[in-house]
Amino acid sequence: MSTQTIPKSRTWGGGNSPFNVSYGKLMMWVFLLSDAFTFSSLLIGYGAIRYSNPSTPIEQIESLDLGFGENIQEKFAAPGVDAHHGEHFIPALRELTVFSEHQWPSPDLVFNHFPFAHGLHLPLIFVSLMTLILILSSVTMVLGVEAGQRGDEKAVSKWMLYTIIGGFMFLGCQAWEWTNFITAGATPWANPYGPPSFAALFFLVTGFHGFHVFSGVVLNIIVYINNLKGTYAKRGHYEMVEKVGLYWHFVDLVWVFVFTFFYLI
Amino acid sequence: MASHSNQKVDIHDEVNYDPTVWVPKVHSHGTSDIWKKFWILLVLTIIDVVFYFVMEPSMARNIIFIALGVVKAIYITGTFMHMKHEKLGLASMIVLPMFFIIFFLVWMMYEGNFWGSF
Repeated sequence: MSTQTIPKSRTWGGGNSPFNVSYGKLMMWVFLLSDAFTFSSLLIGYGAIRYSNPSTPIEQIESLDLGFGENIQEKFAAPGVDAHHGEHFIPALRELTVFSEHQWPSPDLVFNHFPFAHGLHLPLIFVSLMTLILILSSVTMVLGVEAGQRGDEKAVSKWMLYTIIGGFMFLGCQAWEWTNFITAGATPWANPYGPPSFAALFFLVTGFHGFHVFSGVVLNIIVYINNLKGTYAKRGHYEMVEKVGLYWHFVDLVWVFVFTFFYLI
Repeated sequence: MASHSNQKVDIHDEVNYDPTVWVPKVHSHGTSDIWKKFWILLVLTIIDVVFYFVMEPSMARNIIFIALGVVKAIYITGTFMHMKHEKLGLASMIVLPMFFIIFFLVWMMYEGNFWGSF
């Protein structure tokens, strides 16, 4: 011990990290970086395939003259047909070749549904709500991490519970979105909106992200139960909350880009 | 040296640490910064939506969306993931590779434009 002149924490002797984080947290960061590479490759592939197809011409979208909140099922139903049942918008747009295999569909015309507002044209509103839910659950997660840093066991439980609820709400939204998309006739190999790769990429990327959200909720539940059992109070630190928090924020971070690429671009 | 497992060890000890249990001391940075970043993220998302409805689709609009996404990413990693309080070495190890990927992303979108034109 007497030969030691500098503290070990400043060296790299195979012991603790010069980054001043524990082994577990450092490995969580390394995992997140590799996961970020995976998502980047999916989004890079999406960007390239998206732009290898021509976009829907703006004049074509404008010629539909869709108003925000307008009932598009009624508008595009053939005269004398029951406009409240069945799908009228998609067949009409296929007829007008707005939806065709030769051009990438505008997200405006595909993701324009909102729960309990059947037939109304409300583009982007539902995904904006999903984004808000995920950002809020990220905030409750970081508040849980902060509570853990103060050693406040009860507050950790409270914020973890809110985060889990937010996660389930997001998964519910995504299930609704997928149900809509599938009932419209979209499969990984064909869809009524545009080139087959449109729905294939949608299922692949939002499915991959949704699975990450699901895993995150499972991890959050494990941490929540451990905290209720007093595991972290006994251990003397709440670093597990921080590590799972890192993963949860990463999921939020990926959603920012999924939102940007699939719904905005 | 602190011995493994069964004896009581100081998990925060910087010198005589046990690498299997060692964790650095952490202190809270308070909640005001967290809420501030929440409002910023909310406003940035609203700006996204406004651009979506006001501006016609173009590569310039796409770059605005990606730039706003990067700004959101900075706030999420910086504050929520605690990165701005980490050591520079750790931060650059994670952030630099992702920084270069942004160029790849924009470049491949541009490149994809030419795939159908041969």
